Parts: sequence; C-alpha cells; structure tokens
Amino acid sequence: MKALLLATLIAALAGFAAVAALMPHAHAADAAAVKVVVNQLATQYMCQCGCGLTLASCTHGVCGPRDRTLAEIRRMVEGGKTPAEITAALVAQYGEAVLAAPPRRGLNLLAWWGPYAALLAGAVTILLLGAAWTRRPGPQRAASPSALSPEQRRLLDEELRKFDA
Amino acid sequence: MSELGNLSIALAALVSAYGLVAALLGAGLRRADLQHSARNAVYAVFLLLSVASGILLYQALTRDFGNAYVASYSSRDLGLWYTVSVWWAGQAGSLLFWAWLLAGFGAVVVWRQAGYRELMPYIIATVMGVSVFFTLLLAVVSSPFARLAFAPPDGQGLNPLLQNPGMFFHPPTQYLGYVGFTIPFAFAIAAMATKRLDDEWIRATRRWTLASWFFLTLGVLFGMQWAYVELGWGGYWAWDPVENASLLPWLTGTAFLHSVMIQEKRDMLKVWNLVLIVLTFGLVIFGTFLTRSGVLSSVHSFALSSMGPLFFAFIAVILIVSFTLLALRLPWLKSAGDLDSLVSRESSFLFNNLILVGAAFSVFLGTIFPMISEAVRGVKISVGAPFFNQVNVPIGLALLLVMGLCPLLAWRKASLANLSRNFLFPGALGLLTAVGLIVAGLRQPVAVTAFALSAFVTATILLDFHRGAMVRRGHGEPYPLALGRLVLRNRRRYGGYVVHLGVILLFAGMAGSAFSSQQEAVLRPGQTVTINQYTLRYEGISQYPTQSAMVTAATLTVFNSGAPIAVMNPQRNIHRGHEEQPMTEVAIRSTMMEDLYVILAGIGEDGTANFKVIVNPLMMWMWIGGVLMSLGTVVAFWPERREALRARARYLVGAEA
Repeated sequence: MKALLLATLIAALAGFAAVAALMPHAHAADAAAVKVVVNQLATQYMCQCGCGLTLASCTHGVCGPRDRTLAEIRRMVEGGKTPAEITAALVAQYGEAVLAAPPRRGLNLLAWWGPYAALLAGAVTILLLGAAWTRRPGPQRAASPSALSPEQRRLLDEELRKFDA
Repeated sequence: MSELGNLSIALAALVSAYGLVAALLGAGLRRADLQHSARNAVYAVFLLLSVASGILLYQALTRDFGNAYVASYSSRDLGLWYTVSVWWAGQAGSLLFWAWLLAGFGAVVVWRQAGYRELMPYIIATVMGVSVFFTLLLAVVSSPFARLAFAPPDGQGLNPLLQNPGMFFHPPTQYLGYVGFTIPFAFAIAAMATKRLDDEWIRATRRWTLASWFFLTLGVLFGMQWAYVELGWGGYWAWDPVENASLLPWLTGTAFLHSVMIQEKRDMLKVWNLVLIVLTFGLVIFGTFLTRSGVLSSVHSFALSSMGPLFFAFIAVILIVSFTLLALRLPWLKSAGDLDSLVSRESSFLFNNLILVGAAFSVFLGTIFPMISEAVRGVKISVGAPFFNQVNVPIGLALLLVMGLCPLLAWRKASLANLSRNFLFPGALGLLTAVGLIVAGLRQPVAVTAFALSAFVTATILLDFHRGAMVRRGHGEPYPLALGRLVLRNRRRYGGYVVHLGVILLFAGMAGSAFSSQQEAVLRPGQTVTINQYTLRYEGISQYPTQSAMVTAATLTVFNSGAPIAVMNPQRNIHRGHEEQPMTEVAIRSTMMEDLYVILAGIGEDGTANFKVIVNPLMMWMWIGGVLMSLGTVVAFWPERREALRARARYLVGAEA
C-alpha cells in the first residue's frame, strides 16, 4: 500500500513538474495566440482617432485611441470572449462606425450586393442587346455605311484566317 | 507682388468667362472674329495663370511669409525642391496648379488641333467653362495670395508626411491625369453640340486620352509607393476615400480607352463612349471635390476646406448639361455596325467595360455609403478595407479572366476552331498552375485563382506576340526582328498587351500580400526577433538632429537563415513644428521574392524598442508591373504619322460632306 502511495506521489510530483516546466511555454504560446487574434481583429475595426483607417493601418506614430482600443480588444481576447462578443462590446461602446465593414443587414445590403446586382443587370443587358444586334435583318445591315460587300467579307475572312493561323 | 497675383487670377476668371461667351456666340452667329477672339482668350488665360503661378513660386522661394499660403506650407529650413512643391501642397496652390494645367492643355489644343474648326468653339467653351469655375474659386474662395497682417519670421513648414520624393511625382502626375481628361470631355461636348458624332472626336483625342490615362496610372502608382514607404503600416492601399477618388476615373477611363476601339473599328457604342467620358470627367471633379472638401475623413485630411458645396454644384452642372445634350442627340447616335456574334472580341470588350464600370460603381458606392447611411438611417457607419477587399476581389478576378479571353477571341465571330486552337495552351497552363500551387500547399482560393489566371493571361498575350512574329518570319524576317517590327507596326495593340502584362504583375503582387506575415517585439539591445527565415538583432538606438527634425534611428542586423545579410535603420522622427506627432520612417529591404519591412513603433524609457516587422511577398513585382504598364502606354502613345494623316483626311472629308 505504501509503495502504491509512494508511486502515486512520485507520479503526481512528476506530473506537476512536467506541467510547471511547460508553463512558460504555455504562457508564451498563449501570448502569441492572443497577439495573432488581436492583430487579426485590428483589421476589422476602425481607429477612433479620425484617420479613417482600421486599427491595423492607422498611420499615426502615437495614437491614444488606437492603443486604447487595441488594449481593450486584447483584454477581451485574454478574457476568452469570442469575436462576436468583442464586436458587440465595441459597437455598444463606439457605435456601428467602429466596424470596418458594415454589418450585412438592412440598408447595408445595398452596399454589399448593389455592385453585384448592377453587374448582373449589366450582363443581362449586354446579352439581350447582343442577341438583338446579332439578329438584325440582312437589309438593315446592307444599308449600314460600314457594311462590306460579300466579296470583301470573304476576303476579310480569308485574311483573318491567315492571321490566326 | 500678391496684388499682381490676385489681379492675374481675377483677370484669368474674367477672360475665361469672356472666352466661354465669345466661343459660344462665335459658333452660334458664325462669327469668325469672335471665334478667333475666343482662341486668343485661351492663350491669355494661360499667360495670366502662368504669371500667377510664377509669383507664387517666387514668393515661396524668397520666403515671403507675409503670404498666408506660403507661411502655411513652407519654412526657412525647407529645401529648394520641397519649396517648389509648395505650389501644389495646399488647397489654394493646388487649385492654381489645376487651373494652370487646364489653361496650358487648352492652349495646346487651340494651337495644335486648330484644324477641327467646327468643333473648336465648343471645345474652347468647355475648357473655358471649367476654367471659370476654378479661377473663380481662386479669386473668391481660396486665394493663394491672401496676406497676413504681420509677416511671421518663419513659416509653419510642410507637413512631414509630404516631405518625401513622392511629393514631386504623385500630385503632379495625378493632376496631369485628372486635368488631361478635360480635353476628351471637351471634344465629346463639341461633338454633341455640332452633331459631328462619328468617331472623329475619338480619333482626335486618342492621344489625349492615352496621355491622361498614363499620368493617372502613374499618379495612382506613385501614390501607392508613397503610402507604402511613408505611412508606415506595411500596406500600399488602405481604401481611403481620396485613394478611391483617384481610382474611380482611372477605372472608367480604362473602360473608355477600350470601348473607343469598338467605335473606331465597328462604329458601335457611340452613346456608351459619350457616357463614359462624361462619367470619367465627372469623377475627376468628384475626386478633386473629395480631396478638397473634407466631406469624408481621409489620410489626406491636410486638404480640408469648406468648398464642398461648390464642387457638388459644379458636378451637378456638368452632369445635367452633358446628359441633356446627350439625350437631345440620341437620334444621331444610332450605331451603324452590328455585332456578328456574342462570342467575339467585340463582346469581350463589352464585358471588359461592364466589369470596369462595375468596379467603379462598387468603389463609388462604398466610398459614399457612409453619407447615404447617415442620411437615410441617421446612423454613422464606416466602410473600410475589409468591405472593399471582399466586394472587389471577385470583380478583379473577373477582370483578369476577361483580359485573358479578349485576345483569344477573333474580331466579329470566333469559330470553334479558333477557340480550341487559342484556348488550349493558355487554359492548360492556367490549370497546371492552379494544380501545382495546390499540390505545393497553397490553400487560399483567391490567391490560387489569381495566380492561375495570371498564368493564363500571360500565356494568351505571349502567344499572340509569338503568332504575330511567326507570320512575319514567314516573310523572311529573323524572329527577333519580326517581333520588334510587329510591335512597331502595331504600337497600339502590342503596347496595350505590354500594359496588360504589367497589370498581371500588379495582380500577382497583390495576390502575394495574402501571404504576408508580421511579428511584433519589444527588444533590448542584443535581443532578436525572428520572422520566417529572417532573424533581426537589435543593436541599439542613435539620435541626431537634421535641419528639420530630431531623428531617432534603431540599428538592426538582419540574418537570413543565420547568415548576416543587411543592416536596417528604421527611424522615428520628431519634426520641428510637429512635435506632438512623431513620424515613422520605415526601413525596407526589397528582393524579387519579398520585402522585409521594419517599423520602429516606439521607444521605451527603459532602453527597449518596440518593432513591427512585416514580410510582404512579391511586392517588387507590383512596382515592376507599374513600370511595364508605363512602358506599354508609351509604346501605344508613340505617334504614327500615317494614322494622324488618315484621321485628318477623314475629318476633312467629313467636313465637306
């Protein structure tokens, strides 16, 4: 029994020793991980100094608002908050303007999807117009001042074929 | 002296107004004497604004700090060249620079393109109309010759951020590009006013358009380079409103540059080309408005003022006049040409235009969206880099794809044989690149797609060069000579391809930034920080005064895989008169593979130094791409005498008809 207790004690001590030995590395790893997360989040929020840039790209050498916000973010990351919780906390404190990209809801959807909708509409227009232009009747084409005679067209095709070859 | 400057500006405003009225009356009443007088008015405005500019430069160089503008933007310790740059460093001076360039370009048009007699009165009226706006701003709102009650012994000096060689390159090229687009716009207005709506206005302004595009491209690239080396955050483009403002006319101008080819070759897209040049010019004024109005916060906020409403009104006038004229001329703008097939080079140009204008719309919407949100919801929001990157990356990739497809498709109609023959090699190369990158461990889909498309587009361009050279070689020319002559005989086409190769390198550099890595460290002398294969050992700090600043420089020895390769000296400087805001001067070590970018972020009182070290892959390729784009534009721009004669002959035939 004694031997068992002794073995357990030794194992526990060894375990503690191992954990203690690893602790600085664990701290270093945690600190590095926090830094990575903070750096990543710094690209998602605007600096409050009025530079109009994200925390990651604020150009001021010394910037109190940037350093304060980064410190807040670091504290929240170290406190185990998720990015969504951090976002909520920053929005509650600074308003929606702290977000470098507007949230995808309501009127903001116009900014997010407007360009694609416009591109889609444009593509459809090109396809419809293109189809209409290619279906124009022959006589109208012949009436066009820039239209070529069939012979000229044949020669042009030939030249283009030669060039492509 | 200042009185003479003010008088010159006031007279320039008056003569501009006279030129506008005389030109319009001369055209309306068919009075040659009035038209001639309007032409002379353009020369007079140029002369008057040259006098005003000369006085401003003289006052800056002789340190006349009784001039409020000179006192605000220069100081006794400012070197000669930075003193010259005071001309465009502040609002009043840069408006004078704008107006002077405009008058100069107007004078060149009146002198060199006098043959376009019917168009000329309206060209003059447009140029003078724009000149009236800028000279009035200078005369009434923002004079560069306002005097101080007492002349201070020294000026406030130039903002330290502006004390960079970029100051000589970025603003002048940007303005040359901006102002240059006034000329094609003026020709477009003249074409609509005179109903001469064939492609002559386009041919007459082809080189103006190319030159303006060239300078705007240089302006944007110099701005990126300046931001990269000066702003000290490791990037080159922050999607700042003023940066966006320079990109907007570049995007629509690029679309215009492409779509005019369709009008020249196929007599199509007449309305679209007019819309594009009006939009481009409108965006040029919008860009100047954003830079000068301070309506959106920006890193360029040294240019804040309250002249926003005036610019806004001017943009409204431009758009209303242009689009009303366009609507009235619609019956004369019917396309004579047809599209033979949807699978053709013409249609690929249409899609190229769609994507470029779509990108411009996306950037425009993102830039002004904070104002829309505040007006509609009453909620302030921000639209920053993450938004623009997410929305624009797919659009950029689509543009790259179309850039590759375009040279593969035949004019008029691409046959199946044409497609399979042209697509096989470039398509296979693109695919192989994608597979190779994935096998090599690359997992970012955007970067893989960008590199694969870059390979695809490069192959299409090189294939086109090769085929052209082979055709010439068939006529007995040695291959290198055939290649050279191919380019010389068709400078526009092959110059354009060289520009495209530059764009690909630019995209490759941008894709490289997806793999940038960074490390922050607080070090004592002797300690090291490691990033990728680099180890940087902090050796210590030195401090020394210069003429205008107290410099604090850190010394770092850089090791690559253990071997010493460089010594870097990032700085943190306190400029005289700007003590509250220390400036970082980054240290950059560039190779073809990557940039090692070191920022001295702070210095502790305990002898520690705070460093931010960034490795930016492929940055050099971006700048090489910029050089290639410039070279290609020069090739395309190089005058072809035959083409000029042909254009002139066409115009004369048209005038007699």
